[in-house]
Amino acid sequence: MSATTHTTPASSLSAAGILNSEWIKLRSVRSPAWSFAIAILVTVGFAALLSIPLGDETVMDTSDAAAALGNYATIGVQFSQIVVAVLGVLVITGEYSTGMIRSTLSAVPGRFGALAGKGVVLFLTTFVVSVVASIFAFGVSSAMFVSRDVSASILDEKVALPILGGALYLALLSLFALGIGTILRSGAGGIATVLGVLLLLPVLIAFIPFEWAGEVAPFLFGNAGIAFWHPESSDWEWWQNLLVTIGWVVASLGIGAALLRRRDA
Amino acid sequence: MITAEGLVKRYGAKTAVNDISFSVRPGIVTGFLGPNGAGKSTTMRMIVGLDRPTSGSVTVNGRPYAEHSAPLREVGALLDAKAVHTGRSAYNHLLAMGATHGIGKARVREVIAMTGLESVASKRVGGFSLGMGQRLGIAAALLGDPATLILDEPVNGLDPEGVLWVRNLVKQLASEGRTVFLSSHLMSEMAVTADHLIVLGRGRIIADKPMATILAEASGASVLLRSPQAAHLAQLLAGPDITITSSEREALHVTGLTAVQIGETAARAGVVLHELTPGNASLEQAYMELTQDDVEYHATTAQPAAPLTEGVRR
Repeated sequence: MSATTHTTPASSLSAAGILNSEWIKLRSVRSPAWSFAIAILVTVGFAALLSIPLGDETVMDTSDAAAALGNYATIGVQFSQIVVAVLGVLVITGEYSTGMIRSTLSAVPGRFGALAGKGVVLFLTTFVVSVVASIFAFGVSSAMFVSRDVSASILDEKVALPILGGALYLALLSLFALGIGTILRSGAGGIATVLGVLLLLPVLIAFIPFEWAGEVAPFLFGNAGIAFWHPESSDWEWWQNLLVTIGWVVASLGIGAALLRRRDA
Repeated sequence: MITAEGLVKRYGAKTAVNDISFSVRPGIVTGFLGPNGAGKSTTMRMIVGLDRPTSGSVTVNGRPYAEHSAPLREVGALLDAKAVHTGRSAYNHLLAMGATHGIGKARVREVIAMTGLESVASKRVGGFSLGMGQRLGIAAALLGDPATLILDEPVNGLDPEGVLWVRNLVKQLASEGRTVFLSSHLMSEMAVTADHLIVLGRGRIIADKPMATILAEASGASVLLRSPQAAHLAQLLAGPDITITSSEREALHVTGLTAVQIGETAARAGVVLHELTPGNASLEQAYMELTQDDVEYHATTAQPAAPLTEGVRR
């Protein structure tokens, strides 16, 4: 039966195959599509909202047109980061809660490859979706500002760099969330942890009345992750902030990978 | 060929699998039996690397599962029908699993057709019945056209037609020279499917023998005979370790003697026989005898619990 009729040449487990598999998985459940749609809506929506003229005033200083439009294009990142954090956690915890993880790890028994495949697909998809969302946002803002003589090229570095930086931040955040989800294996716990690190920790640190708190603050994911593409907000070089952000991602994915390898599925 | 050597799995203080060694050969169906909690599922999970042995090793065709270059083509496993994302369609689930090994749409459609899932393939798995989920699990196991199949309770939740289908499928796979390792709690089903049995109790192997041997060794094997001179024949047959019971007039159930022995005794005495039917012990009887001391979770019936358990132990 199967042995005789099955004539396709035998292929093996491969990195390309794992990537393809994770890409199929990301597209074939509803939550990622919803998450990305919401991220795009929020990014474009906030840009449009803030571009509405308030008499002669605008929400942001538009004396430097390129800088202003760059800001408008990425203002939504503050909101879409929550969606990305949730998605990053659910991509792996959804497999734990449904039992899918056992199918995944049967197909990729080396385990590390399965997590790496998920990470690559999630990172690239989040990055591309964020860039697209920001380009839409830039277009909407530009259209609304055109009558007020505020315009800039999207290739202007004051526009293009924030767009790429914001997308890189969200993509790194999705990986950080994936790592936390892998460590905790629980959707609720993972989401609470990631949002806590992202939103709560910077606030808590700000309230601590000791000097060290001020020194720790720039190292927080939420602070460094924004600062590397908003250099004016930090005393550090952009690459220092980027390195700190990547450090969080490496730590979360590293611990996640080690636990994934060791634990029974 | 699956080979386990000194396999041990402990969860904290509890030993689920206690130093077992066995091999599962190709070309036959090997049944895996044991009470709940005996360690069957844990053993099967260790074969495909989902659980890590505390010590010992298990290989499939000479290598640990994870070290094969194409694990899904080596072993197809149904360990848990619910190992599927409930939000994904059956088709996409199989497509995603196959994609890791470069297995494409054509093969996915093939296994969907083989398992009779065509009409629901595009539906989300969350809405599947137990039987449909089971068929999907079997489809996933067949995806890589593997040389070894590991099926944990494959007929669980299937309708009679599905049970028959699994029985024939499993036999066919074995006849193609594949290694088939199958667990089930349905003794009647196991009896007509498996050629060889490995029986596990409290994490240890109680028996590892051909089905025929296990049945022959069971003490419950009885011969039914009918004779107008039943009472006389009963006297002739009586002896130590031989029990003779009668459920109706002119009929006897004899245990401890073979049909051949009974027939010859009757012939020597000139007793007329109307029927002489050797009845194997049922697998259920044989299984109960093998595992009576190794049942992890005893059920107790409310009223006559004590005498009943006594009766079984005797």
